[in-house]
Amino acid sequence: MSDYARKPKRKYCQFCKDKVEYIDYKDVNTLKKFMTDRGKIKPRRVSGNCAQHQHQLATAIKRAREMALVPYTVPVVSGRVDGRRR
Amino acid sequence: MKAYEVMLIIDPSLDDDGREALLSKVRGVITADGGVVDSEDAWGKRKLAYEIAGLAEADYHVLMFHADAPTVAELDRVLKITDPVVRFKIIRRDDLD
Repeated sequence: MSDYARKPKRKYCQFCKDKVEYIDYKDVNTLKKFMTDRGKIKPRRVSGNCAQHQHQLATAIKRAREMALVPYTVPVVSGRVDGRRR
Repeated sequence: MKAYEVMLIIDPSLDDDGREALLSKVRGVITADGGVVDSEDAWGKRKLAYEIAGLAEADYHVLMFHADAPTVAELDRVLKITDPVVRFKIIRRDDLD
């Protein structure tokens, strides 16, 4: 499914649901859930995060990038990613 | 004292003795002025998401500690001039105070 695919259901901030106080930049698996397969940070309209948590998440992802835990970008191999034209 | 966290990316070619010496130096800087090392986590060798200084993988270490601001400034200075430390990050942990 596309990263930017529209979901009809109302989204709710995952971090509010789990009552997360601090988003850890070391927790790569959580961060990856909020990144596209190209390594971009998913926008709030896609992730459904609240402003506070989206801000924390963005900071965490940027920290993780600096420490080479997650990539800045994932280079395109053939001009097509999972069968879709970019 | 406030809670901090430091992550070190160490050159993987450094031998065990050298790494231990480096880590005890870091601990020494933290504890020299009344700081306390709370926990230490050795992640071991991990693949880097992108190449840093020609390295494809590196040795990760995470230390959680409590210290005062001057100690953190000193740690920052020491790490900057420590060659085997490829990259490091000191982060203030408000949530752990």
